[in-house]
Amino acid sequence: MAAADLQIAPVIELGPLVITSTVVTTWVIIAVIWLCCWLLARRIALQPGPFQTAAEGVVTTITDAIAEVAPDHAQRIMPFIASLWIYLVIANLTGLIPGAHSPTRDLSATAALAFLVFLSTHWFGIRIQGLGNYLRHYLRPSPVLLPFHLISEVTRTIALAVRLFGNMMSLEMAALLILLVAGFLAPVPILMLHIIEALVQAYIFGMLALIYVAGGIQSQQRPESEKE
Amino acid sequence: MELSWSTFVLEIVNFLVLLWILQHFLYRPIAEVIARRKAGIDKVREDAQALHAEAQQLKQQYENRLADWNAERQQARAVLERELEAQRRAGLEANRSALEQEREKTRVVEASRQAEARRALQETALAQGAQFATRLLEAAAGAETQSGLVELVIAGLSQLSAERVAAIRQSAESGTGDLVVLSALPLLPEQRDRLQQALLSVAGVSTPPRFELREDLLAGVRITLGPWVLGCNLRDELAGMAALRHAQ
Repeated sequence: MAAADLQIAPVIELGPLVITSTVVTTWVIIAVIWLCCWLLARRIALQPGPFQTAAEGVVTTITDAIAEVAPDHAQRIMPFIASLWIYLVIANLTGLIPGAHSPTRDLSATAALAFLVFLSTHWFGIRIQGLGNYLRHYLRPSPVLLPFHLISEVTRTIALAVRLFGNMMSLEMAALLILLVAGFLAPVPILMLHIIEALVQAYIFGMLALIYVAGGIQSQQRPESEKE
Repeated sequence: MELSWSTFVLEIVNFLVLLWILQHFLYRPIAEVIARRKAGIDKVREDAQALHAEAQQLKQQYENRLADWNAERQQARAVLERELEAQRRAGLEANRSALEQEREKTRVVEASRQAEARRALQETALAQGAQFATRLLEAAAGAETQSGLVELVIAGLSQLSAERVAAIRQSAESGTGDLVVLSALPLLPEQRDRLQQALLSVAGVSTPPRFELREDLLAGVRITLGPWVLGCNLRDELAGMAALRHAQ
């Protein structure tokens, strides 16, 4: 039973394309987010209601946090980082719903997000600095460090995916084990810990993604003291 | 812990779709409404600043106008004070002039009153003197005095100028009256004849004069021929002296 609960069950198989519960859950989350945003966009006004005030607060807070790290390019990278944060918070908390599982307990999902972060780092770096300038940062401070830079690019992406996957899967596994050992209502404290852990892991993933992207953008920017 | 490539690819696509949804239905509308709100706030702030600037300008204008009003008021007050001073001086001058005129008038009136009083005193003195002289002459008057006065008349008639003689004769010829000789005392016959002869000679008439007594003449005679009157008696002399003094 435990093994079955931890397995990612396929829902639909269309030849080589296998649609798992992770993908279905993600679609539901996207649908809910789209519905909420659509309703918000329809009723948006200069005098905001409670829902619009909360949404503006979330967006403004995320924008300010991004501006603290990358003040010159906050508006450009904000949609990607903010989407990561919003999606991960909701996805991580989905595991609290009875019968539902968090998409982030699936390594395929976290790997997909980590891969997107990997791609976006190079995308924003090349878009903002140009290909030559961006590739040149792998040779600094010394060309000897090029292999280490390349290994770092891969390992930090893997670490990003595995960290989120491991934490979320371990939380669900711990709750499942406690439920099996102690019985009904016993995992409630671990579920409360799940909330905190879900928020923390979403924050960590998004912040690391922000740092990676900002590092790729600002790798050619020398400090003001060096310029003088 | 298996890696499903289908899930991997679908999750990538899902996230990109989610990114598009959030971009179009959350980030952009919120950014637009925040921008509109900020624009509204900026506009309100600019309006407030414009109002503030306008208020400052109005305040400055009001203060300038107030200062101008104060200056004009001070100037008007100075002009008014000058006019009041001029009017006060003119009034003082007019009062001084009127006072001087009043004083001069009073002085003239006083002088006139004093002259009148002095004249009244003189007339009183003359009257008293005349009364005194009349009483004295009444006491002293007598036949000798009258005789002397008659002699003086007789001598005077003989020494009249031709013009006077002609005037007397013209009066006699006009026939307006008789030749009358009034005397305080009865004349002596000899004097009476000489006086008659002298009168007839001067008047050129033949009718002898009529002799009458008038005791109030004190002494002497009064001769009348129509309008012509010759007084040589104490009463007429005293009256003549009083009239002469009064005329002076």
